[in-house]
Amino acid sequence: MSLRVAGALLRAGALLLAAAVAVFAATAALPADAIAVRSGGRIEGEQLAALRAAAGLDRPVVVRFLDWLGGLLTGDPGASLVSGRPVAELVGQRALVSAVLVVGALVLAVPLAVALARSRGTAAGVLVVAAAALPPVVVGVGLAALLAGGWQLVPPVSLLPAGRPPWSRPALLVLPVLTLALPTAAYAAGQLRGTVADVIARPFVRDAELRGVPGPAVALRYVGPLVAAPALRVLAVSAGALVAGTTVVETLFGMSGLGELLVAAVRTRDVPVVQAVALLAAAVVVAGLLLADLAAAATSSGPARRGRRA
Amino acid sequence: MTGRTVLLGATTALLVIVLGGPALAGDTAVRTVAAPWAPPGSGLPLGADALGRDVLARVLAGGRDLALVAGGSALVATVLGAGAGLWTGWSNGSVARGLAAAADLLLAVPLLLLALVAAVALPGPAAVLVGTVLGGAPLTLRVVADVTQASRGAGYVRAALGRGEPAATVLLREVLPAHSALVAADLGMRAVLALQLAAALSVLGFGSAPPAPDWAGMLRDNLVGLPVNPAAVLAPAVALAVLAAALAACARTADGRVAR
Repeated sequence: MSLRVAGALLRAGALLLAAAVAVFAATAALPADAIAVRSGGRIEGEQLAALRAAAGLDRPVVVRFLDWLGGLLTGDPGASLVSGRPVAELVGQRALVSAVLVVGALVLAVPLAVALARSRGTAAGVLVVAAAALPPVVVGVGLAALLAGGWQLVPPVSLLPAGRPPWSRPALLVLPVLTLALPTAAYAAGQLRGTVADVIARPFVRDAELRGVPGPAVALRYVGPLVAAPALRVLAVSAGALVAGTTVVETLFGMSGLGELLVAAVRTRDVPVVQAVALLAAAVVVAGLLLADLAAAATSSGPARRGRRA
Repeated sequence: MTGRTVLLGATTALLVIVLGGPALAGDTAVRTVAAPWAPPGSGLPLGADALGRDVLARVLAGGRDLALVAGGSALVATVLGAGAGLWTGWSNGSVARGLAAAADLLLAVPLLLLALVAAVALPGPAAVLVGTVLGGAPLTLRVVADVTQASRGAGYVRAALGRGEPAATVLLREVLPAHSALVAADLGMRAVLALQLAAALSVLGFGSAPPAPDWAGMLRDNLVGLPVNPAAVLAPAVALAVLAAALAACARTADGRVAR
């Protein structure tokens, strides 16, 4: 038991380090570009070299990586190459909006996925397959056409008033949260319904039903424990997908959260910002997997069966 | 059986229209012909977009790039994943186990995040390819490795080995064809995910350069005009949804044939 916990922690740490290496390697490939983007190509030669040196971009890659990692560990991920403001400040300003969106979507998606997980072979099951195939942006636009266009219940664009918490205008959160939650619920339900159908078909579940155990009790006591480990794994992967999904949703509905910050930083090649936000998202994924591993270790004695994504 | 034929036929027809669309639309897709967001009327069955261009022509022309990027990425991911899976399942050595473990880890990372990080250094289509391969090939690898491992003891494999055929030939001529439905279903699922990824990157501004039309870009550009001309948003949304659903349905039918 404690061995498994230690193993899970160790793997999470290794995973996070691997993510840091991958993010850094992918983004540090073109060191001069942020300077070039900022200057609009007007600066060349010695001046460019001086600016790069000032930004520390002329040092060897390994030194820059260790420097960056050290900065992260001490809570200083550097400064934006575009605006010059500290990355920590940019992230701090926007984290709340994205966190509210992701948590809101999870609160909605989990019960929906549980309800749909028994849908195999029904009309709702066909709907689940179709919904999981839709690009999230189509879901967002469809919801906007329905709720903002047709019924005019909520505004089509979610511009939050500056300096106010996101929940001060709940109507603005409806479209982004639904857009995140519905495809995620469909995905999670699609992943789980095979497992759920298998468990429901087991003799002891039939037995319990025949003995007259009420439905909810069967679900909780007989089906639940066997589905828990794969469900937690699917939940962790879904949480990661939600974090990544904030990029599309925030851009589409005009909210300034972390997702929108990441997209803007990728466009301007603002490497320190991309690195920090991408690693933060990776950390959320790793934390989710760690929690799923720990919960699986706590609830079962066998090895956790991993949920499949497809 | 007939349902499957109809589905495959309809999807093929859809793909032909999507790929040939730009030729049908001609240069009307990039010309301003009406007021911004003009509602549907004579000559403009779906009205006009934000810049007064014919929405119908743009919907016709706007699927090819997305479909090509998604299809190409899916093909590369499936070929790499199936190749690695055949080898992993067959050899079952320590390198193969390491590969499977690495694949397991990659599965947890969201595709979109991979693609966005790749988009810092690469153009949009290449980022879709990277995201699809890194996020999709591991799944193919795992599924193909599982069935390959199970096939090692099968009679037809032992017969081929007994005839003195080299392992590579047995894998490509005997094992792969035996699981072709599985691989086809996998290709379909990769294509659905790659289409979602290509659409997402396009909405985020890493798609085809304007003024070239593209369904996802149309969604983003015309969302503000929703109250004036809903067709400018709904038409590309429906087009994307139909293509994605058709691909997913084909993938499921192919999968159903292997009786799972």
